[in-house]
Amino acid sequence: MSRKHSRREILGHAARGAALAGLGGMTGLLWLKANATYAWSIDARRCIDSKLGAVGITVCERCASECVLPLSAVRAVNQFSRCGRCYVCPAYFKITSAVGPDGLPSEKVCPRDAIKREPIGWIDPDDPANNFYEYTIDETLCNGCGRCVLECKEPAGLGSIVLEVRHNACLDCNRCAIAQACPEDAFERHSPQAE
Amino acid sequence: MTGGAGTAVKFRPARRIGGKGHAPHQFERTLRGIAVDGAGRVYAVGDSALKVFGAEGEPLRQWATRLPGESVAVDPDGRVWVGERGQVEIHDARGHLADTWRDAGRLGLVTAIGFGRGDVFLADASARWIRRYDRNGEFLNNIGDRQRKGGFHIPNGVVDFAVDGAGIVHVANPGLHRVERYSADGTLLGHFGHFDGRDPAGFPGCCNPTNLTLDGDGHVIVSEKAGPRVKIYSPDGQLVTLVADDVFDPAAKNMDLAVDARGRIYVVDTVTLEICVFEPKAREAA
Repeated sequence: MSRKHSRREILGHAARGAALAGLGGMTGLLWLKANATYAWSIDARRCIDSKLGAVGITVCERCASECVLPLSAVRAVNQFSRCGRCYVCPAYFKITSAVGPDGLPSEKVCPRDAIKREPIGWIDPDDPANNFYEYTIDETLCNGCGRCVLECKEPAGLGSIVLEVRHNACLDCNRCAIAQACPEDAFERHSPQAE
Repeated sequence: MTGGAGTAVKFRPARRIGGKGHAPHQFERTLRGIAVDGAGRVYAVGDSALKVFGAEGEPLRQWATRLPGESVAVDPDGRVWVGERGQVEIHDARGHLADTWRDAGRLGLVTAIGFGRGDVFLADASARWIRRYDRNGEFLNNIGDRQRKGGFHIPNGVVDFAVDGAGIVHVANPGLHRVERYSADGTLLGHFGHFDGRDPAGFPGCCNPTNLTLDGDGHVIVSEKAGPRVKIYSPDGQLVTLVADDVFDPAAKNMDLAVDARGRIYVVDTVTLEICVFEPKAREAA
């Protein structure tokens, strides 16, 4: 047996449905906000170690010294697509050090020897200058001091090495100690919903 | 560059031409290439214009180019060649477009132009080779394609060269810290240079020299980046003199060079968009 609904009843059902949907939406938003995961990142354009046009500066090393972790969550990363694969990389070699018997600078930039240098492609056994080299950074050794980043900066290098926050290591502190100390305000906090 | 009885010529900054700005003699965003003709007129390309200056730096005339100019040269007939992305524009001395060379697949970014013994040489920074053509635009051969690195190693993105009176092509190969000499058919004849970050005779950093030109005596004039400086080498690769190292913007790189018949050296500061002119001064004991 069916009966016809009055117009008042239909409007009432619709209003209750809309109210329930709104309540559900609000609940969902509140849940997301309460459980949101924020993440810290570094804006390479503002980082003093990599900022274009900034010359005559010294590396700040705050990313290495300020993190609450024993080994900073910040690492140097070489973006291979931008790397020149040079024989004499200014981020690997201290290019003002004395030239050794192999014709290369005798000192390295990284104090932790975290950068690995390997010839790639078809290797010329007679002329090492005639090869391309790949520079990779060992993340178990790098502490994000930024010295290689500074040396790779334009115009000396191509700016292929940048500092990045490693999210598998970062504790996502509400008040990141590095962000507090960053002289260029290059540390930024992001929420996934805002991306 | 030496005078008689073991003297070395020193240089002094004489003037600056151009600069960054909106005035007719200035450049707004880029200044890439320069050349000097037999009368001492200076040709400069940047933005999408070619500007001509007198020997004392006074602006003479200018005209637009179809694309942003990357390089410029004046041929023996007084025609002005402008290298661009994918093409070369050829203008008469008054700026009228006489011809445009395109060679799909061969002409990428044309960063240097030279002439020698009926040949036209165009640096293709996209392929990292130099293309050799005859005066009618017929392709003849490449220079640099036998390099093991697949071409000249130019992390800075520019191939620069100069052609001497014998038709020998002198090329900057910055990734190898060398100046190399090639015959017109692409045979490597020799090279000089080595890495050294301390000794001024060496080439420092990742990749120097970035640019070069030749004077009338066969001296090789080079520019370097980080820090920017200009030096002169003898034809056999011995450092002769440092022209300047403290007058350019520290971030300047790929500084194009030219030299006139009086031995004045013209250098592009790619940051301030000025042409820095250096002239020989007193000869000092070497």
